[in-house]
Amino acid sequence: MEPIDFSQPARQSPKGILIIFALNTYKFITRFFVLILALGLSLSKKESFSFLTTTNITLIILGIFLVILVFAVLKYLNFKFHLEKDEFHLSTGIINKEATILPKSKIQNVYIKQNFIQQLINVVSLTIETAGDDKAEIEINALDRHTALELKDQLFSKKQAEVASLDETPKERTVYFKASISRLFLEGISQNHIKSLLVIVSFVVGLYSEFEKYLQELGIADRLKSTINIETGSILNFLLANLFLVAIGILGSMLFSVLQTFVSNFNLEVVENDDTIEINKGLFNKMSLILTPVKIQNLVIKTNRLKAYLGLHTLSIKQAMVNKKQQKHFKIVALEKHQVAHLVQKIFSEYDGLGENHKPEAYYKRVLMLRSMFIGALINIPAYFILGDYFWLINLLIITWIVLFVHYTYKNASFQITDEYLTINSGFIDRVRNISELHKIQSVVLKQTIFQKQRHIASVYIATASNTVRIPYITEENASSIYDYLLFKVESQDRNWM
Amino acid sequence: MFTNQQINLDTLPSIDDVDFKPISKQYLSIIILNRSLVFTLVIIALFVAKSMVNDVNFRMLFWYVFGAFVLFAILNLVFTILAFKTRKYAIREQDVIYTKGVLVNSIAAVPISRIQHIEISRSWLARKFNLATLNIFTAGEAGIDLSIEGLNYSEAKKINDFLSKKVNGTD
Repeated sequence: MEPIDFSQPARQSPKGILIIFALNTYKFITRFFVLILALGLSLSKKESFSFLTTTNITLIILGIFLVILVFAVLKYLNFKFHLEKDEFHLSTGIINKEATILPKSKIQNVYIKQNFIQQLINVVSLTIETAGDDKAEIEINALDRHTALELKDQLFSKKQAEVASLDETPKERTVYFKASISRLFLEGISQNHIKSLLVIVSFVVGLYSEFEKYLQELGIADRLKSTINIETGSILNFLLANLFLVAIGILGSMLFSVLQTFVSNFNLEVVENDDTIEINKGLFNKMSLILTPVKIQNLVIKTNRLKAYLGLHTLSIKQAMVNKKQQKHFKIVALEKHQVAHLVQKIFSEYDGLGENHKPEAYYKRVLMLRSMFIGALINIPAYFILGDYFWLINLLIITWIVLFVHYTYKNASFQITDEYLTINSGFIDRVRNISELHKIQSVVLKQTIFQKQRHIASVYIATASNTVRIPYITEENASSIYDYLLFKVESQDRNWM
Repeated sequence: MFTNQQINLDTLPSIDDVDFKPISKQYLSIIILNRSLVFTLVIIALFVAKSMVNDVNFRMLFWYVFGAFVLFAILNLVFTILAFKTRKYAIREQDVIYTKGVLVNSIAAVPISRIQHIEISRSWLARKFNLATLNIFTAGEAGIDLSIEGLNYSEAKKINDFLSKKVNGTD
């Protein structure tokens, strides 16, 4: 491959016009969706806007598209980027000109994505992300794959001069992990279906409220009532109808989970480069992420009882303030235990997981119990109104839940502090392990309530640039020695956190 | 040269030995003034509601609500005054420490090498009392950033200068 020269200001591929056009049209439609819908409905009902003949409407729509197209062309023409020394330069803006200069060393991530339209016309988009806020993100909408890969490599190489020499030595590139279809399927099946159910329910409720009036006019509700026609008094029918609903809900959410897992993780592949890790995945939205270990703040490993049995672990990689929407992409699902260990070691090279595990004090159990009892007591109030005199029955369920919750949450909770790393295990159904490097800690807080003070218990909160973790309810003595140790570790070594 | 000596945990500088400095006493007046303003506004709102609504149930409940609120306000003030004594700070060679709270006591430490930027902010009341708030930002999650309220303006400036110098490495 010929190295491409990026030193002169260049535009993206002309196909970019199409992408910008499609993006803006999509934005326009989603922004005015409700308005358009309302207009359409009122048009179909009565002819209050009599001047809106079919030709007029077509003309208006065409006009809107034309304006969007002109904007897309102008945006394309005014979008130029180049590399100069160790900086990435970008100039944008049709009327308000904007010039962005980004030093290579401040680049946090570069990733290559390909959505459905981009797949059709065979271009990719390249996003450059810094540790700043969301606005500091740069996205180039349309590049051909070869150019994008070249640009990515050059952005990651320390100096431009090195580019030539890099090309001579063949880069080590091994595919470490590839998620098979069956494993993805298992991953989908063993997901938390309650979450999917909530997504579906909120979607349906949202749709319903949007179309409520319209549906009422059609009289669907009445028709439904007449077809189902629940006989009052027949409890069996009532139960059957409810069971039917529950079964549909469960099936629907399972299907949703599986589909979602497939779509976002299709062809999931982890590639090991010399000193970076690359994640490729996606069906409609293909993406490729590059991770550099220095910039990684935390690792979170998640699994649950069922998943652990099936050998499924999820590794999330947390970086400094990556915008929340992107955060979910930095996730590798369906990993075996030894694969997780390997990847963790690749990122945090000294990590071996060995060391003494400590547990929180038994006081933690009491806090958990009190908290869940409070919630349980609150649930009794609506239960009384729904179930009437039999409301106390619900407490049997609640008590079982509290016992299980307290037992397993306490059992799963533990922490480990070694020379380099802090590991915290937590979770009830999910087992979550958080690993942070000690020298990447940003601040430490010791917290103690007035009740804990009497019993000499305290908690330590540790913030890194990507999240905050807690060592819960340990003795005052341990807490302050951990506090001192962590501060000592951060302050005694002159190491950057990214 | 690389060394890797074993650390004796007992010899580490300990948080228990830190000599904390209280913030300016005048800040208490600002807190009380602010609180009283909020409480008065709520009480006025309650009485306005009373004169507007003619419902019998509401009238019966009104004095209970009023009583509960007054109790809450008094407790809140008492705890604020108690908690005020715990608002203390310390600047060590390598970090800034701030402690506060009675019901929930917290001791937060930010290593100076992790400070992103520092800012002095002064509200209208604070300017009248010649006080200032020192905000210390890290790259960590927003909730943990330190802000030391109720410092003497000159003290705040002094700390600000000291920390800025250290952060920028010109010291």
